[in-house]
Amino acid sequence: MTASTRKAVGDAWQERARSGFVVAAIALGVAAFLALLASYAILTRELHSGYLATNPASAILHTDAVDDHMLAAVGADPEVGSAEAKRMVFGRIEVGPAQWRNLLLFVVSDYGSIRLNKIVPEQGAWPPATGEMLIERDAVQVAHARIGQTFVVRTADRQEHTLRISGRVHDVGQAQARMENSVYGYITPRTLAQLGQKPVLDLLYIQVATNKYDEAHIRHVAEKVKQRLEAEGYRIHGVDVPVPGKHPHADLMGTLLLAMFSFGVLLLALSGVLALNFTAALMAAQVRQIGIMKALGGTRGQVARIYLLQALLLGGVATVIGAPVGIWGTLLLCRYMGMFLNFDVTSFGIPGWVFVLAAMVGLGVPVIASAFPVWRRTSMSVRLALANTGTPQDHFGRSVVDRMLAGIGGGVRPVILSVRNSFRRRTRLVLTCTTLTCAGLLFMTALNLRTSMIRTFDRLFAAQKYELTVNFGEMYPVEKINRAILSVPGVIRSENWIVTQAVIARTGRRAPRVTDASDTFRVFALPADSKLFVPVLAKGRSLRSGEDDGILLNQTLAAQNPQIKVGDHLMLQMGSAEMKGRVVGVDREPMAPPPIAYVPISVLERVHPGMANFTGIAIKKTESASIESMRNAIDSNLEREGIRGVGISSKSEFRVAVDQHMLMIYIFLVLASCVVAGVGGLGLATTMGINVLERRREIGILRAIGATSRMIAAIVVLEAVVIAVLSWGAAVLLARPLSEALAGMMGRSMHGAFDFSVAPLGILVCLTAALLVAATASLLPAASALRLSVREALTYE
Amino acid sequence: MEAEQLIQEPFRTPRLHSFSMITLTQVAKNYDTPAGDYPALCGVDLQIAAGEFVAIVGKSGSGKSTLLNLIAGIDRPSMGEVVVNGANIREFSENRLALWRGKNIGLVFQFFQLMSTLTAAENVMLPMDFARIISPRQRRTRALELLERVGCTRHADKLPSALSGGEQQRVAIARALANDPPVVLADEPTGNLDSSTGKAIFTLFGSLVRSGKTLVVVTHERDVAEKFTRVVELSDGAMIAAGTPDRQGATR
Ligand SMILES: Nc1ncnc2c1ncn2[C@@H]1O[C@H](COP(=O)(O)OP(=O)(O)OP(=O)(O)O)[C@@H](O)[C@H]1O
Ligand SMILES: [Mg+2]
Repeated sequence: MTASTRKAVGDAWQERARSGFVVAAIALGVAAFLALLASYAILTRELHSGYLATNPASAILHTDAVDDHMLAAVGADPEVGSAEAKRMVFGRIEVGPAQWRNLLLFVVSDYGSIRLNKIVPEQGAWPPATGEMLIERDAVQVAHARIGQTFVVRTADRQEHTLRISGRVHDVGQAQARMENSVYGYITPRTLAQLGQKPVLDLLYIQVATNKYDEAHIRHVAEKVKQRLEAEGYRIHGVDVPVPGKHPHADLMGTLLLAMFSFGVLLLALSGVLALNFTAALMAAQVRQIGIMKALGGTRGQVARIYLLQALLLGGVATVIGAPVGIWGTLLLCRYMGMFLNFDVTSFGIPGWVFVLAAMVGLGVPVIASAFPVWRRTSMSVRLALANTGTPQDHFGRSVVDRMLAGIGGGVRPVILSVRNSFRRRTRLVLTCTTLTCAGLLFMTALNLRTSMIRTFDRLFAAQKYELTVNFGEMYPVEKINRAILSVPGVIRSENWIVTQAVIARTGRRAPRVTDASDTFRVFALPADSKLFVPVLAKGRSLRSGEDDGILLNQTLAAQNPQIKVGDHLMLQMGSAEMKGRVVGVDREPMAPPPIAYVPISVLERVHPGMANFTGIAIKKTESASIESMRNAIDSNLEREGIRGVGISSKSEFRVAVDQHMLMIYIFLVLASCVVAGVGGLGLATTMGINVLERRREIGILRAIGATSRMIAAIVVLEAVVIAVLSWGAAVLLARPLSEALAGMMGRSMHGAFDFSVAPLGILVCLTAALLVAATASLLPAASALRLSVREALTYE
Repeated sequence: MEAEQLIQEPFRTPRLHSFSMITLTQVAKNYDTPAGDYPALCGVDLQIAAGEFVAIVGKSGSGKSTLLNLIAGIDRPSMGEVVVNGANIREFSENRLALWRGKNIGLVFQFFQLMSTLTAAENVMLPMDFARIISPRQRRTRALELLERVGCTRHADKLPSALSGGEQQRVAIARALANDPPVVLADEPTGNLDSSTGKAIFTLFGSLVRSGKTLVVVTHERDVAEKFTRVVELSDGAMIAAGTPDRQGATR
C-alpha cells in the first residue's frame, strides 16, 4: 500500500460512523438500481418469450359460426399460417354461498391440437371431459377451487348447471384472474351444449404466415380474409388485431418497471447528494493537511487522487454490499411481478451488462459527487491552506440571511441556537433537505393521487345512475323485460337500451377519411333524455331529445380517432343498420374503458321496434348482499319470462376492481417514499454528525458554561428537527404542483382527466414522519456530542 | 443566593476550609500519551481565599491551563483533592459538574468563544437558560445590565462577527458573570488582544474583584502585576512561587 492509499483508507476509517451512513445510502441506491434494471431485463425477456411460446393469434375475426369449409378456405390462403376456431362464453360462477363471480369460458374443440394461443396443462385432466372444466391457475384462488370440486355456473340460458373442475392449466395470454376478479375456464363444445348453448365456435383466430410482427401487414391479410369470406356468404361482424408479439399486459409492466427504474435512479442521485455532503465536510476539515501535503511537494493531482481514492473506496464497499441485496431484490421483484402478471419466470439469469452498469454506477456516483469539493479544496494555495485553522471558518453574521435570522428573537436561547445552527451551512442544509423533501413529496403525491383518483371515480361512478346492467345477448320485447325487472322489489327504475357492434363506415365531408375503419366498437343506443346514463362531458354536449343524429363518443373512441372532432359528420355501420350522424361530444368514463359510442335509441328502434337487448337498472340499496339477492331475483324473473340474460354486471363490483388496479400505483409510491425517507434519514444523520464534529469546540463551551447532557442532546435533536420540518415545508409546497402534473399524466393515459384534490392526511402523516426521522437520525450524533469531554472539545483544532 | 446554593450541594466541605474559596491538596495530573504517562502537574498545594485576584504565570507547557481546568472542573485530577466553593468536585458526575459550573464558575477563554449564531445579549442569557436560577423574564434585563457593566450596551443585539476582539472578550466576561458566580477563571484572556485593550480588560477584572468575586487568571501580561493579590508561578508542573505581587516585584 502506498502512503496515499493508506491515508485514504485511514481517513475513511477515522470517519467510520459517517462513512458508514454514506456507504449504506450508496449501497441502497446500488441495490435498487441493480434490482430494478435486472428485473426489467429479466421480466421483459421472460414475458416476451412466454407470450410468444403461446403462439398468439395475429387477428381474430368475429363471425356466426366457423365451419370446416371456412377453416379450409382460410387455411389455403398462403398468407395465413394457421387458422383455428374458438369461442368465448360469458357467465357467472358460484364460488361460495350466494357469492357469484364472472366466468369466462373458452371453448376449444380439440385440446390435442391447439396451435394458437396455447395453454399449458399443469395438473389433473387434459383434455376436459364433457361436463368438466379446466381452470386457469390464477383463477383457482378466485374460485377457491380444488380439482374434483363441482361448481354451479350460469350462462346465457337462465339454468343453473354444474361443472366439475378436472384440471388446472396456465394461460399466459390472460390478464391475472385475481386482478380481474373473474374465473377463466376451458371446456369443449359438448360441454357448451350441456350448458344449453349452441355448440358452435364463432371466433376465427388466424396467424399470418410471414411478417408476424408487422401490424399493417396483419391488417391487410385480415381484411383480405374478411372480404374473401364475405364473398362466400359468411357474415363477419368485426376484426380484432392485438398489438403483434406483445403480451396484453406488457405495456402495463413496462410502465410499472419504468416508474420503478426512475425511482432507482432517483435513489442513486440522492445517495450521491449524501456523498457530496460528506466529502464537502471532510474536505473542509482537511484544508490544512492538504496545504501540508502540497508544501511537501505534492501536486494538486496527487493530492486530489488521495481523496478521490477515498470516494472510490466508499463506492467499492457500497457496491459489494449493495449487489447481493440487489440480486435478492431482483428475485423478489421478478417473482412478484411474475405472479402479478401470471407468467412463469423460467430463468432468473441476470445479464452481465446489468452487473457492469451497477458496478460503474456504484463506483462512479461517490467519485462524481466528491469531484467538486475535492477540486475546490485542492486548488487552495499552500499559504492560505496552512493558515486555515482546520475548523471551518465561522462567517455567521456576514450575510443578510444571518442578520435576518439574528433579528428574529425568541424566548429560549438553546432553541434559537438550534434554529440558527441549522442555517449555518446552507449548501449542506439544502442538500440534506433535498432528500427528505423528495421522500415527503413522494408520500404526499401518493396520497394526493389516491384522493384525486377516488374523487374522480366517485364522480364518474355517481354519474351513472344504474347499479346493475343486464346484457341479453339477443333482442327481447321491451314489455317482457319490463315485466321481469320492474316487479323485483328494490328496483327504482330501469331503461332498455340496444347495444350493438359498429364500425365507422366513413366520415363526413368535413372530416378526413378514417384510414383504419375495420376496428369495431360498441354502440349503446339509449333514450336521449336517459335518466340512468348521465354523461360526464369532456367536450361538447350530451345527446338531446328530439335529435336523431347525435353521436356521443367515449374518451377511448375519441382518442383512437383523433381526427374526428366535435361537430364532424360520421357514418356508423351497425350490422345491417346505418346511421348518418354528427359528433356532439365526448364522455368521460372511469379507467381506460373500451371504445364506445352513444346514439339515440330512435336510430335502432326503427330496425328493432319495441325490442331491446340491454337494460340498466337503478336500485335502492347498494350493499353487496342486497345487490346479489336482487341479481338472483332478476335472474329468476327473466327466466319466468323466457328471457336469457347473458350477464348481469354490477357497478360496485366494477368499482372494486378499478380500485384494485389503482392500489398498485399507490402502494408503490408509498413504499418508494419510505425507502427515500430512509436515505433522507441517513443523509440527515450524516449532516448532523458533520455538524456536531465541526462544532465540537462550541459544544465544549456550552458544557463549560453549564449545559447539561440533556440540553446538549436537545440542541442537537432540535437542529435535526428544524431541518426535517423545513424539508417537510418544502415538500408541502411542491407536492401540489407535482401531484397535479402526475394526475394529469395518469388522466391522459386513460384518455381522460383526473379531478385533482389534496389529501390533508398526507401532510400530517408526513410531519409526524419528519419528526420521527429527525429524532432517529440525531440519536447517534447527539450521543457523540455527549461523549465529548469538555477539555477535548476545547482543545480540538 | 450563594448561601442557598451551598446548602443545596450535598458534598459540603468541613468548616475548616470555608475561609478558602479554592483549595487544591496534593493535586497531580497525568496525561495518557502514546509515550506513556506524562505528568503535567505534580504535588500542587494551593489555597485561594474569597476575594483574591490570583495570576498564574509560567512558560508555555508549564501546566497553567491544566491547573485552571482542574479548578473549573473541566478536567479531573489524577491525584489529590480539588474543593471549590465548598464542593469537592472530584466526585461529581459530568452532568452535575456542568450544572455546578454554570452556577459557580464564570469562564473566560483566550479566543472569546462566543456562540457565533447568538447575539451578544443572547450569549449572555445562554448560561441563565442553562442554570435556571434567574427567572426567564429577568434574563434579558440582567444581560443588559451585565453588558452595561462591561461597556457593551450598544452591541447587545449584534452578532459576534460584527464585534471587535476586545468587544467580544467584554461580552464573554459579561457571559461569565451571567449567574453571578463567586469564582471567575480566565485563560490568557488578553492573549489575542492588543496591549491597551488588554489593559482595559484587566481594569474590568479589577472592578470584579472589588465587587467580591474571586478571580484566577492565566496571563503573560507583566505590566498589570500590581492589580493581583498574588502571583502563582508554575514550572514543569510544579509551583515554584506563590507569593504576593509585592514580593514578586521585590525579587525582580
Ligand atoms: N490532552 C493532553 N494529552 C497529553 N499531554 C497534554 C495534554 N494537554 C496538555 N498536555 C501537556 O501537558 C503540559 C501542560 O500543558 P498546559 O496546556 O497546561 O500548558 P500551558 O502552561 O497552558 O501552556 P501554554 O502557555 O502554551 O498554553 C504540556 O506539556 C502539554 O504538552
Ligand atoms: Mg495554556
